[in-house]
Amino acid sequence: MAKKKRIEVMACAGTGCVSGGAFQIIDALEKELTAHGLIDEISIVPTGCNGFCGQGPLMVVIPDNIFYGWLTLDAIPHLVEEHFLKGRPVQKLMFTPPEEKEPFPLLSDIPFFRKQLLVVLRNKGIIDPEKIEDYVARDGYTALEKVLSSMPPDTVIGEISKSGLRGRGGAGFPTGTKWEIARKQEKTPRYLIANCDEGDPGAYMDRSVLESDPHSVIEGMSIAAYAIGSSDGFIYVRSEYPLAIERMKTALSQAREYGLLGSSILDSGFDFDIEIREGSGAFVCGEETSLIHSIEGDIPEPRQRPPFPAQSGLWGCPTVINNVETLANVPVIITRGSEWYSNIGTETSKGTKIFSLVGKINNTGLIEVPMGINLRDVVYEIGGGIPNGKEFKAVQTGGPSGGCIPASMLDSPIDYESLVEAGSMMGSGGMIVMDEDTCVVDVSKFFIQFTNDESCGKCVACRDGSEALLEVLDRIAGGEGREGDVEFLEELGAAVKDASMCGLGQTLPNPVLSTLNYFRDEYEAHVNEKRCPALVCRDMIQYYIDPDKCVGCLKCLKNCPTEAIMGELKYVHIIEQDKCSKCGQCLEECPPKISAVIKVTGNDMDSLEQLTEIVACAERKN
Amino acid sequence: MQHSTTSDERVGAALVVGGGIGGMQAALDLAEAGIKVYLVDNKPSIGGVMSQLDKTFPTNDCAMCTMAPRLVEIGRHKDIEKITLSEIESVTGQPGNFRVHLRKQPRYVDETKCTGCGACVENCPTRNEVQLVELGRTELAPQHQEEVLGILERHRDRKGPLMPILQDVNVAFNYFPENVLRFISQETGYPLTHINRIATFYSAFSLKPIGKHVINLCMGTACYVRGAGILLEKFSEALNIGVGETTEDMLFTFKSVRCIGCCGLAPVMMTGDDVYGKLQTKDIPDIIKKYRQAEQ
Repeated sequence: MAKKKRIEVMACAGTGCVSGGAFQIIDALEKELTAHGLIDEISIVPTGCNGFCGQGPLMVVIPDNIFYGWLTLDAIPHLVEEHFLKGRPVQKLMFTPPEEKEPFPLLSDIPFFRKQLLVVLRNKGIIDPEKIEDYVARDGYTALEKVLSSMPPDTVIGEISKSGLRGRGGAGFPTGTKWEIARKQEKTPRYLIANCDEGDPGAYMDRSVLESDPHSVIEGMSIAAYAIGSSDGFIYVRSEYPLAIERMKTALSQAREYGLLGSSILDSGFDFDIEIREGSGAFVCGEETSLIHSIEGDIPEPRQRPPFPAQSGLWGCPTVINNVETLANVPVIITRGSEWYSNIGTETSKGTKIFSLVGKINNTGLIEVPMGINLRDVVYEIGGGIPNGKEFKAVQTGGPSGGCIPASMLDSPIDYESLVEAGSMMGSGGMIVMDEDTCVVDVSKFFIQFTNDESCGKCVACRDGSEALLEVLDRIAGGEGREGDVEFLEELGAAVKDASMCGLGQTLPNPVLSTLNYFRDEYEAHVNEKRCPALVCRDMIQYYIDPDKCVGCLKCLKNCPTEAIMGELKYVHIIEQDKCSKCGQCLEECPPKISAVIKVTGNDMDSLEQLTEIVACAERKN
Repeated sequence: MQHSTTSDERVGAALVVGGGIGGMQAALDLAEAGIKVYLVDNKPSIGGVMSQLDKTFPTNDCAMCTMAPRLVEIGRHKDIEKITLSEIESVTGQPGNFRVHLRKQPRYVDETKCTGCGACVENCPTRNEVQLVELGRTELAPQHQEEVLGILERHRDRKGPLMPILQDVNVAFNYFPENVLRFISQETGYPLTHINRIATFYSAFSLKPIGKHVINLCMGTACYVRGAGILLEKFSEALNIGVGETTEDMLFTFKSVRCIGCCGLAPVMMTGDDVYGKLQTKDIPDIIKKYRQAEQ
């Protein structure tokens, strides 16, 4: 084994950081270290996603445990000279929360990491995902060995059942029960599928697991396959995740090389191998029966259940489909025991859950927290609150199948039951934070547009129901809402929920219904007053230049794509409303200290229009 | 229908498109009002879907009893001219004076002489026999040959090979040339209709050639709340094409995708393996320029 080096630099090479130029930065760092003759003492480890994606590209220096974010190529020479040569960590590159001056030097001090509990992501940012040795060094594959040498399949299933592990794909079906059903089927062969068709917009947990720790999924799959008596496994990954597919392929070939996949694994007589199947951009394929059809090469439309896939699935054989995150939980449960695992979480929801915390929040990234943590901790402690001092409005969980949770419910715990009670659902773990500038009608419209696009069209309730919902929402957002529209949305939403065949249709009205529940007044403002309180819906807002603030700098005027702004240098500018396309460019261009461009809605529009006419005889500014 | 009238002259004639129950009633009402009616249908006869129904919702009226009198009346009416087996190609002009071009399919029977007695139908010697069209073997174009044969060979022994084959073909050519799909159908035994449904189901597949660079603008939730909607418009403007379209020089295809999982960098776009995060409208011209320049 190579000699342990003095310092290890854990450079994040997850997709987020890579698109921010992580590989270029690693190259530059290597070059700089070589130039200073440090390359023998310091090693650079490209790791999987660190989780704190909002700070990318980033790195952690071990053993000091110092966190550097927002790295640039220009900063590297300075960093090497100061930190690695002189031993003085660079404050400028450390994490500093907005509105505070003092940076947090240590990773463990940063609030984003402090409240997290890493079970599934135990190896994130610590190992090189492309090296099986790194995984083995962190007790990898010991669970598989334990299972193969000393636990009969029924004991494994019993252990998983006792741990209380539930499916992390969203619905929360007990994993142990699913395995047991499949095991009881007489028909063989049985199949195992890992579902990584993570289609929910705003969610990337599964991708991160595959990218940062692919072997934990392979080990989990092997254990699951052993428990249900299967020798063929599939991983279904979306083609939008090229890096995850690449890392998984590497991991699979390494596992085969080490005899951890293939025939008679670890001389136990248990055969198992895994094949990767790629999706090609169809949201409905995340639904288990669709996914099976897609692998079979059939039209990927869902079918009626029962029979459930565990009874009759791929090619008519018993098939267990588990989410990637569920499977990555399995090795830990086996190693540390079901009792340890079931101590984490709440009465009905055990263990941890990974969420992707995104949207209008300071610390965007991937977090793993124990079940039962309350939303306030997630948004304000881990997430660091809302940027630019805006007001928190709601958090959207569960993707297009979930709903919004308003500020009044910030103190409720996060577990399967509480979320359903709040009108949302756990879903795969997307958590999109919305601030006061987000319009609920607009967001509902966005989700219905999504499900309408992605509906496979097999059953009427989903296909035509989403179309009708969209039509009404379009009308409301377009300022043409009619009396009774809001009630109609409720009625139709309930009907679509009842009458659809698969999960996609049964949950698609959730975004509308839950926002109607908590933000009915906003819908009513749109319909009755033709007013968008969040100033988003285009047909109900106007841009307007405050004559008292405008200094006549020509910035907005020059950049207006429709030439709708009149004025001259040092004369107050005026927007000609009939030419304005409401693109918002002027608002972006107006310098922050002036901020003369504002948005108005409802009755304000008329009064300001008159004012604009008065100002039209432009006064000169000095 | 061509009338040699000048533009300001109003014509006392109407054209009804579709000879279903609605079209028939409209034609009759118009004709009763003294207007000359042309009734167009793309089927060999008028009557539409109703002629296939037994009862109608919600009153359970007999469908044929409703439509038969109208059929007869239209057949008799001197001011209604039926034009069957025809489709509209273009409509020009303005209200009061339209010019409509129709394309009529051949009927192989002289309509003016036929009385609809049904004798020829009953006495046709090959009626009720399956008429198989002899399809020749599909051959691949030379530029596709090597790739396609290689792909088929790679997946020959696989269970459920269709998706992997189509994915590899998509990687190789960026789209599905018709001949290649025919060839795959012939070699694998999957019916062409089945392959076609799969090929049009997934958003990553296209039946038309697409641009060299596919600009995938993420419209996931995180990107959307951070302003991807405006970016979509700006890209459309800058490239002068709509979503799903390809520029004339075949350099760019513009697509909107649902979440590429880079929500931390929202709003995001992806082109090939390049991901651009924290996009602003002012970055757009530079990105496009970069690819244009690389081409020269």
